[in-house]
Amino acid sequence: MSSSTIEAIKDAVTNYDEDLVKKLVTQAISEGVDPLKLLNNALTPAIREVGDRFGKCEIFLTELLLAANACMVGVEITKKKLLEQQRSANEPKGKIVLGTVQGDVHNIGKDILKVLLETSGYEVFDLGIDVPAEDFAKMAVSVKADFVGSSALLTTTRPEQKLIEEKLKQTGIRDKLHTIVGGGATDQEWAHEIGADYYAADAVEGVEIIKRVIEKHA
Amino acid sequence: MKPDLRILSKEELDVIFTSALYLLRNVGVNIEDEEIRTLLGNRGCDLGPNNIVYFPEWLVKDCLNSTPKEVTICGRNPKKDMTIGRQRYPYIIPHVLNVNYYDAVNQNYTTTTRENVENFVKICDFLDTIDGVWIVTMLPQFKEMYMFNDFEMGIRATTKPVCITTLETESVDPTYELATAIAGSKEELKKRPLMTICLCAVSPLSWTKQGCETLKAVARWGIQPALATEAPMGDTGPVTFAGDIAQKMAEYLSGDVILQSLNKGMAVLWVNVHESFDQRTGMVNLASRGDFVQACAMGQIEKHIGVPVLSPVSPDSHMLDMQEAYELGFTLLPQMLGGSRAIVVHGLDTTRAFNDELLLLLDDMVASARRLIDGIDVNTDTLATDIIKNVCSKIEKGRRVGHFLDQKHTLTWYEKEQRPRKDFVFEKHSREKWMELGAKTFVQRAHERVQEILHTHKPEPLPREIEAKILEIRKKYKIGE
Repeated sequence: MSSSTIEAIKDAVTNYDEDLVKKLVTQAISEGVDPLKLLNNALTPAIREVGDRFGKCEIFLTELLLAANACMVGVEITKKKLLEQQRSANEPKGKIVLGTVQGDVHNIGKDILKVLLETSGYEVFDLGIDVPAEDFAKMAVSVKADFVGSSALLTTTRPEQKLIEEKLKQTGIRDKLHTIVGGGATDQEWAHEIGADYYAADAVEGVEIIKRVIEKHA
Repeated sequence: MKPDLRILSKEELDVIFTSALYLLRNVGVNIEDEEIRTLLGNRGCDLGPNNIVYFPEWLVKDCLNSTPKEVTICGRNPKKDMTIGRQRYPYIIPHVLNVNYYDAVNQNYTTTTRENVENFVKICDFLDTIDGVWIVTMLPQFKEMYMFNDFEMGIRATTKPVCITTLETESVDPTYELATAIAGSKEELKKRPLMTICLCAVSPLSWTKQGCETLKAVARWGIQPALATEAPMGDTGPVTFAGDIAQKMAEYLSGDVILQSLNKGMAVLWVNVHESFDQRTGMVNLASRGDFVQACAMGQIEKHIGVPVLSPVSPDSHMLDMQEAYELGFTLLPQMLGGSRAIVVHGLDTTRAFNDELLLLLDDMVASARRLIDGIDVNTDTLATDIIKNVCSKIEKGRRVGHFLDQKHTLTWYEKEQRPRKDFVFEKHSREKWMELGAKTFVQRAHERVQEILHTHKPEPLPREIEAKILEIRKKYKIGE
């Protein structure tokens, strides 16, 4: 794989150009470039660079999300190719179950967290919105999750996060994973009160916490 | 649509102007200088006892007609020149006045140092919302020739226009020589006035001997005058708005007649100061309710009379506190929305102190007021119907789950519409994040940003030949450091 191909794909990601990412990655694979190398040498470094720039407040959240979406287009193509070749992609850095609690339909923060985690190399199991507490627990058991993250924007729905803690305990996996809560109705005190391990004020902080904790326990 | 805040009708403005003409014709102006009285007598004014000069209406109107409608105040960098009368947003000119610097971190007043002035001007040079500076110091180390020293300090720290004020006629010559050297020649200086001198009428309706000397000096040299009128309502001006405005207008017009008689066609900037007198404390206020009202009228007066006006924003607060923010906002916003085209901003303590951190508060207020001035654009792009349709098409479990954060439309329009700050002087994180960052106050954050600017921003240095010229002028006029 030539350095110009790597740079072109990186540029396409940092310029949020989904179509160009798709074209360049598809072309590279058709020319015999190893999809794993595309993933490790072009797509991942590109989105890491964008993430770093966002962390330094050099770019806006929308730029990060657009770049992440462009990156994901390339990631999906490479993953598909790896599957065809009966090879596995990089081992995910961790498995995260995410969802907005039952009775609550706010999804923006959760979706941002999902994109940021995926582009950082984590495998995300997004349960969507209005998710019953037992579904969080079931999915956590099923995928052997490292983290369960729940979002609640309303004070009327945040008791569901406490219910998630209880369901995880009932299934016997609570001490095998970490939990993190977020959303407009939550704060550090609430996390402490219900027994959640962490609270994140926003998606970016959520990624930082999850990364830090998983790396520490790796 | 663009906002346009009006407080006077055209008929009311006509009446105020007519009243100013009446005052000039029937009450007259006390002028202490015999040479100027004689000049005015020769031009058709009636000379009365007690040095009173009565101005005929035709002469005032004739002089007003020969006064340029625009004034250009130039900076070292021509791209930063201010042409008052043509621009999109009002020019913002912070003022370093007199002796005190307010240390916002330690909440105390200190005697102004050269470093205080240089730092302040350097920050003004850095901030995009600031268009120039006005410097009037009486730094003890200068001893004399304050205007020359002020000008030199100013041009060293910024390439934006530097306005100065003098009470010493002898400092005009060396300052003029320095401005000429920067412009390239006397002819160039006339085309690009780098030097603006403020002089002041005395209310009610008087010109002192010293004021007349300065009028003659600026006319002789062709230096851009900024003619200030200050008549605190209820003190040296009527307590009523209409009367106070009419009196100050008459004072400006009398100065304009003198200057046009000395140097026809000279641009005469009107520094229209709004002041009210507080009957409880015996203090002149520059940011009380009455001042907010006059601030609002400035733009309309300017457009009506047809000369460029420079008007002040001067909080009375003694600290960088809630009162300061209130007074700054309530004077600045009506003045900007009312159509003022050039605004001098004094720091705090009723013009008697300045402060670096305040510049960052001002910076954001000006940016917000500019955004208001630009109004709301309504067109296909800004209505974003297609984008809304696209976002609404994302459905999950029978519910709409799309949002605008991942839309290119958001990226295209975010900065244009919202004009976000790049820094976090104004805290917008969550409370938890704010606490994690040290739970700093506005003053603490602004102070850190000020230090960062002072550390990283390097104003364009003076050319070597100008440095040599400064040494030559200092030697010639025996001006010490």
